[in-house]
Amino acid sequence: MKKIAIITGAIVTVAAMFTSCGSKREPGKVYMPDMAYSRAYETYAERDSTKFTADQNNKGGLIFYNAAPVAGTMKRGEELPYTLPNDTTGYKLSATVKSPLTSFTAADSAEAGRLFNINCAICHGAKAEGNGPIASSGKIGGIANLTLDSYVKMADGTMFHSITYGRNLMGSYASQLDRKQRWMLVKYIRTLQPKPTVAAAPASTDSTAATPAAPKG
Amino acid sequence: MSRYKKIIIKAFSSFLFVLIFSFNNTTLAADGEALFKSKCANCHKPDADYTGPALQGWKDRQPDGFIYKWVANPTTMIASDPYAKKLADKWKPIVMTAFPELKKEEVDAIMKYVDDYKPPVKQGPAGGGEAPETDNSLLYGILTLVLAVVAFILLQVNSNLRKLTDEKEGIYRGEPVPFYRNKTYLMMAILVLFGIGGYMTMNAAIGMGRMKNYQPEQPIFYSHKVHAGVNQISCLYCHGGAQDSKHANIPSVNVCMNCHMGIKEYKGEEKLVREDGRAVNGTEEIQKLYSYAGWNADTKQYNPDNNGDGIPDGARPIKWVKIHNLPDHVYFNHSQHVKVGKQQCQTCHGNIQEMPEVYQFSELSMGWCINCHRETKVDFYNKETGEGNKFYSIYEKFHNDIKEHKLDSVTVEKIGGTECQKCHY
Repeated sequence: MKKIAIITGAIVTVAAMFTSCGSKREPGKVYMPDMAYSRAYETYAERDSTKFTADQNNKGGLIFYNAAPVAGTMKRGEELPYTLPNDTTGYKLSATVKSPLTSFTAADSAEAGRLFNINCAICHGAKAEGNGPIASSGKIGGIANLTLDSYVKMADGTMFHSITYGRNLMGSYASQLDRKQRWMLVKYIRTLQPKPTVAAAPASTDSTAATPAAPKG
Repeated sequence: MSRYKKIIIKAFSSFLFVLIFSFNNTTLAADGEALFKSKCANCHKPDADYTGPALQGWKDRQPDGFIYKWVANPTTMIASDPYAKKLADKWKPIVMTAFPELKKEEVDAIMKYVDDYKPPVKQGPAGGGEAPETDNSLLYGILTLVLAVVAFILLQVNSNLRKLTDEKEGIYRGEPVPFYRNKTYLMMAILVLFGIGGYMTMNAAIGMGRMKNYQPEQPIFYSHKVHAGVNQISCLYCHGGAQDSKHANIPSVNVCMNCHMGIKEYKGEEKLVREDGRAVNGTEEIQKLYSYAGWNADTKQYNPDNNGDGIPDGARPIKWVKIHNLPDHVYFNHSQHVKVGKQQCQTCHGNIQEMPEVYQFSELSMGWCINCHRETKVDFYNKETGEGNKFYSIYEKFHNDIKEHKLDSVTVEKIGGTECQKCHY
């Protein structure tokens, strides 16, 4: 009888201990730390500055570790790098760049549509009419209606340039979409746009129509 | 006959004329509204500055006839007209899109709409609101307690009554033991405590290292409810790695800035409150983001890179606290589940779009993983229709079993989803 009482007392204390340190703001403890925490460098883990350095020329006995890919290398199957600079000249020259995509199948179109809905439709709208949830709620102004004449006439390369480097209030999407995906999006946007009409052709001689806004610095 | 016809035609045409004339004003305004919304509303508001200036009061600001030339071709106007130059300086680097296709009457219609525009009156919250959801467990607890007390009193009454009858009948039973020394009562209490204590201990011991409900405080109060819920941003917009790689990716600061170059203050209706009830100023949190990004909200530019490290001065990564952690001896790959398995993010992460602060929704324990692998059906290849994931065409035996109706679907377990080496190696 007494023994049982003691055991019960012990169990209740342990239970109280376990539950009391369970604050949800704290990560809590683990049983075997050496099995739970990686000794290798994990993604997003902070680099231990006593062991690693990002400075290749001045290692000072530390291990050189640089997360950036080696300059000049590219992923297998990826499109060739886009070399035009992010400035006024680059923007002008971008009109001469041709899309490297030779075919655009229905499957490609579906994939590009999926990417468009994830990355672009939030502002530009699912039909590229500049009325996505963020635009229509008035949170960001100046969102381009890509079905407008000036964007129908915009060169593929210029559109790619704008997705790559960003334009006015739009940021660069180079970190979210690889080059092939960006070119696919250009193709997909073309399918959302109305076909260029013959009547609209004379207007294209107007030099400002193709450049809807002043280039960003 | 022809006379009647003439009269009818005359009457009809005059009626039509009156009709057109009387509706003329409204059609003009309506056209103006439609045109404004399709051409101008992206950058202009009638009554407030936006990407471009507020349009009301345009007549008083600019020279006569300026607007038609400006709308048709802003770029040449900036080069030639002093007022246009002043405008461009004020709103640079953004220059208005040219609308050469807009006719003079259409511009008039738009500007008439702008002048007549009145901001819509905000309506208060509709209805009395639903009754707040109540948690019944407290009520049940109190009821149980009350019943226990009643039972205890009845037991005491019972023993007292028995004592009385015993005395009446002359049976001597000796002094009754008080309830706190009554061995039956004590034993029962100990057993109950043993049960509860054991249950809690086991649960806590199992939960150790699993971190369910872990909800750390992040360096910036980033509300998934506002971003993924109210603004409907796709999870994959920021966590694009979930479809391509092992990691779902914590977005780098430039991804935040894709929208926050434009959105510099929080004006949403959703109140921002931390778990412990402290109110959060959304605009201040956006300012924190600007500080991390090295962005100057006044000049609308990134800080110059004077120290030569390739990023704007003052920019640094945000040290988000990782919530979902698996032990090092477990392998988990996001793309395998999101892209191939076509699982929704919410299956494992819960209703993220309703969480102001994210917490670990699932246990992320092995039993939890295995259970899902046992229940979830793979997108098995159908040889006849060609639907499903073609990878599964190599599973001869299952294809035969399905043909012979021994099997109706294939779960993850069947293709080896519960093998140790799938996740531990």
